[in-house]
Amino acid sequence: MALSGMRGLSVFISDIRNCQNKEQERLRVDKELGNIRTRFKNEKGLTPYEKKKYVWKMLYIYMLGYDVDFGHMEAVSLISAPKYPEKQAAFLSFCGIWGSYHSRMSQSFGAVGYIVTSCLLNENYDFLRMAINTVRNDIIGRNETFQCLALTMVGNIGGREFAESLAPDVQKLLLLDERDLGVLTSVMSLFVALVSNNTEAYWNCLPKCVKILERLARNQDILQEYTYYGIPSPWLQVKTMRALQYFPTVEDPSTRRALFEVLQRILMGTDVVKNVNKNNASHAVLFEALALENMTRMLLVTDVQDIIKRHQAQIITSLKDPDISIRRRALDLLYGMCDVTNAKDIVEELLQLLPEL
Amino acid sequence: MVIRELSGLILTRGPKLCNFVEWKGYKVVYRRYASLYFCMGIDADDNELEILEIIHHFVEILDRYFGSVCELDLIFNFHKAYYILDEILIAGELQESSKKTVARLIAAQDSLVETAQEQANSISNMIAQATK
Repeated sequence: MALSGMRGLSVFISDIRNCQNKEQERLRVDKELGNIRTRFKNEKGLTPYEKKKYVWKMLYIYMLGYDVDFGHMEAVSLISAPKYPEKQAAFLSFCGIWGSYHSRMSQSFGAVGYIVTSCLLNENYDFLRMAINTVRNDIIGRNETFQCLALTMVGNIGGREFAESLAPDVQKLLLLDERDLGVLTSVMSLFVALVSNNTEAYWNCLPKCVKILERLARNQDILQEYTYYGIPSPWLQVKTMRALQYFPTVEDPSTRRALFEVLQRILMGTDVVKNVNKNNASHAVLFEALALENMTRMLLVTDVQDIIKRHQAQIITSLKDPDISIRRRALDLLYGMCDVTNAKDIVEELLQLLPEL
Repeated sequence: MVIRELSGLILTRGPKLCNFVEWKGYKVVYRRYASLYFCMGIDADDNELEILEIIHHFVEILDRYFGSVCELDLIFNFHKAYYILDEILIAGELQESSKKTVARLIAAQDSLVETAQEQANSISNMIAQATK
């Protein structure tokens, strides 16, 4: 653990815990704050270890409900420390102390007036700006643990300025080039949510999605553990096609050709088989492929209605199915396909059905 | 409340009916294993067959972990079932489809719990000896 071996911190905490009343606690805290303040003043003599220890103490004091209005500089400088414990301390103190700074800033907005607020803001943003650069270095760095710390901090206290300057770097972390299918599955869930929010920003990801789909459909380089009843991760296939459905068209001809080839393979290659699970999984993929295909086809084919009409008899029989889910679907479909030509038949059927409901 | 309404809805459905029920604007996908029912609520435009297989995937992992899982396993180890579910789903979406990986992560968690318990035991032993 990062905390073990920091004797000064444990002693301080047990001192606090042994306090009999609030007054004693306050005295002890004030003493400690004074101590830290003088130590920070002549910063030259501080080792990273000492700095870290004091920042932890400040965080603890802050958590007890006391104001900590100094030492932010030291916390900032710890972010760029090369070792994990120092970084962790810095990030945590940031998330805690600065989180409250934001809310206090907005409080003073009303009470004290614009001038004070803008001073505070500037001062804070100077701190933040210094932090942004180091945070950015961590995000684009190769160390996964540091990336996690940095992302957590951005997620917790990142305001507009953070968002503006770090968004491209964070987006780059979207691991669509990843080979590991487990990671890809999680990323794809996130990606579907992102794309549903804003398609424009993610056009450059489209070929990558098609590549993933190609790899799955051709069963290339798929570990045995990621196949489900012989199908290469049906869930990832479904999710990827879901993501693709948010893009109106595929402009690039070679990508489009690749996508159509994959869809063709899925549409032709799906058979009804004995095993229920395999059947379900492959049809989950098939229906998603159909949904994706329909997006492009529906625009061209206006007489979908006619195709559905051929199944009218079957749909009407489904109205009498013992299963409520199927009856509802059939009713939806009848409602949708009803027009001048078949209204008489359909309404007749529905009227007959009415007394039975 | 949700559970009461849904169990009334699902338990009354015969074995020949399909595994999807519409409920309050959601779709409920359920699957029955002997006396155990697993249900997942999803949005109206989600792919229900995919969800049906997520349930089966979860059950297969439970099966492997408990050795042919039964109701009692889940009643007495409901926390473990939740830990396993946490490895499979993230924010309601599938995050890991490899049974091997999930098994490895759960085993790692189990060994963490074990060492923590051992430590706790040795500490309480020390305290007991000191206060003797």
